[in-house]
Amino acid sequence: MANGGIRQASPVNGVRSPSLKAALGKYWAIFRTQLVNSLAYPIDLLGRSLLIVLFMWIFMNLWRVTYGASGAHSIAGLTLADTMWYLMMAEAVMLSKRDLSEEMTEQVKDGSVAYLLNKPFNFILYHFAAGLGHSVLAFGGNLVIGAAVVWLMVGPPPGIAGWLFAGAAVILAWLLDFCFSALIGLSAFVVEETAAFRWIYQKFLLLLGGVLIPLDFFPAWLQTFSLNLPFAWVIYGPARLFVEPSLARLGQVLLQQGIWLALIGGTVWILYRRAAARLAINGG
Amino acid sequence: MPAVSVRDLRKTFQLKQKAAGLRGSLRALWRPSLQELDAVRGISFSMDEGELLGFIGPNGAGKSTTIKILTGILHPSSGEAEVLGRVPWRQRQELAFQIGSVFGQRPQLWYHLPAVDTFYLFGKIYELDDRELKGRIAFLAEAFEIEELLETPVRKLSLGQRMRCEVAASLLHRPRVLLLDEPSIGLDVVAKQRLRATIQRMNDLEGVGVLLTSHDAGDIEALCRRVIIINDGEIVYRDKVSALRRRYLTVKTVDVRYNEQLPPDFALPGVEMVKVGRYGAKMRFDTRVTPVGPVIGGLAAAGSLADVTVSEPSLEEVIGAIYARAESKDG
Repeated sequence: MANGGIRQASPVNGVRSPSLKAALGKYWAIFRTQLVNSLAYPIDLLGRSLLIVLFMWIFMNLWRVTYGASGAHSIAGLTLADTMWYLMMAEAVMLSKRDLSEEMTEQVKDGSVAYLLNKPFNFILYHFAAGLGHSVLAFGGNLVIGAAVVWLMVGPPPGIAGWLFAGAAVILAWLLDFCFSALIGLSAFVVEETAAFRWIYQKFLLLLGGVLIPLDFFPAWLQTFSLNLPFAWVIYGPARLFVEPSLARLGQVLLQQGIWLALIGGTVWILYRRAAARLAINGG
Repeated sequence: MPAVSVRDLRKTFQLKQKAAGLRGSLRALWRPSLQELDAVRGISFSMDEGELLGFIGPNGAGKSTTIKILTGILHPSSGEAEVLGRVPWRQRQELAFQIGSVFGQRPQLWYHLPAVDTFYLFGKIYELDDRELKGRIAFLAEAFEIEELLETPVRKLSLGQRMRCEVAASLLHRPRVLLLDEPSIGLDVVAKQRLRATIQRMNDLEGVGVLLTSHDAGDIEALCRRVIIINDGEIVYRDKVSALRRRYLTVKTVDVRYNEQLPPDFALPGVEMVKVGRYGAKMRFDTRVTPVGPVIGGLAAAGSLADVTVSEPSLEEVIGAIYARAESKDG
């Protein structure tokens, strides 16, 4: 039998300092494995993406009547076509989010978190890389199918700048959403069941994040209120940037996302360190 | 330096208690009552490099809690532990490169993907270079006889096949200590034997030390020279498996059959008659009180022997007796 002839994985008593390349390689491999995993059931993936067709059809009927009744070409600066493209991007992001909080909660409840804590990677970054592997594919599917449907309904999409700017903002939006999910997921280390927190977060996104209605249609006070909360920058920011890709708006969206990321991401980091120390693992 | 050393390790969990019914639930909301559960109560032991050490006990004895402390994912309430010179809960990430673990009831292979995909992922996680990793996978595939299984999605493997892949995955980075928590749970007899043989082979080939917990005394008997028995968070026995046999297997059971009828008052000095029939009898004696020779002589003198079977209790029964003894001491 041939011995694999591998050298000792690390110096016996030395302190290991992994190179940046090796560290990035790990999270890239986790991302890639999740991507391949998502492709294990292509019909399921396609089926989920088809949901956006139903949503767009409902929105189209709703807003066509609203615009028709108001008699105006545009409402709060958005035409019917703008509104539909906004909602397409908002839904594409919303439907491609990976609910990591639920996954983390399950892992704590069933004890499988043990495997993720005893491997040489960071638990939080592992989840982010795996979540991204899921979201990229789902987002791609939603975008292609959603864009095809909306194009047929209201005509061509915004220009290339819209796609590029929104693309950048969507990556930060995923990060921000991930931080929220991680915050909820980490609470499982203490309270075990997190369904209530998850429900509240989803509803905030729907109402104050701009999933159902562009925030521009809100009364001024509610608009100001919503824009001062982080939820708007998960959905509204990238979707609005998509239909109005100005450099000023790009700067505003990225700045807001950056501020909230620092605040919520920092909290996640501190909580993770505390939660890991008081972890109680279920089962056996 | 021992590979694992544990001194006076304790772990206490706080459990929320709630009385039955709605009133109990409401009271628990208002004033939750917490009960302390001592999962591990001051245990001390050590394991040498390359040793196969059995760590057994009934459900809730504290085995898994101890293993989780040794991998660094649980902090103990007090006491000390070192694994390969490192304090697990302080140096968890560094230690992760040196130890492997398999929790039999929790899969670590990606369920929808072929095992080889998880192997490549682990290769990256443990920072092995591609060439080394390929050689290592080929070596383990041969040692664990899983060449044919590596490209099948894990969900389509039998439990025995999956468990061989799980253990192989945990050895990719050449750990010096392997923590196996109930690896044989749910396996049939053949799958168990195959898994045991593979663990033994990896110990012979690479000198990996194995701390093995199991419900199955057969695993311990087949693999381990030394065993620690834990019950209710405390160590109730530690010694060689052979000493366990010698010390506790002194009680022999004899089944005897004769060609002619036995007298109804058939008896032998120092031997307890369990059952006496017309042509045969079942009896029990302790070799520390009654030597084997006179018993066999007495049986031969009693008439024309048709058959004699002398048996000793299984390791399972012995361990059961040790648990029972520990419990009666507590009670």
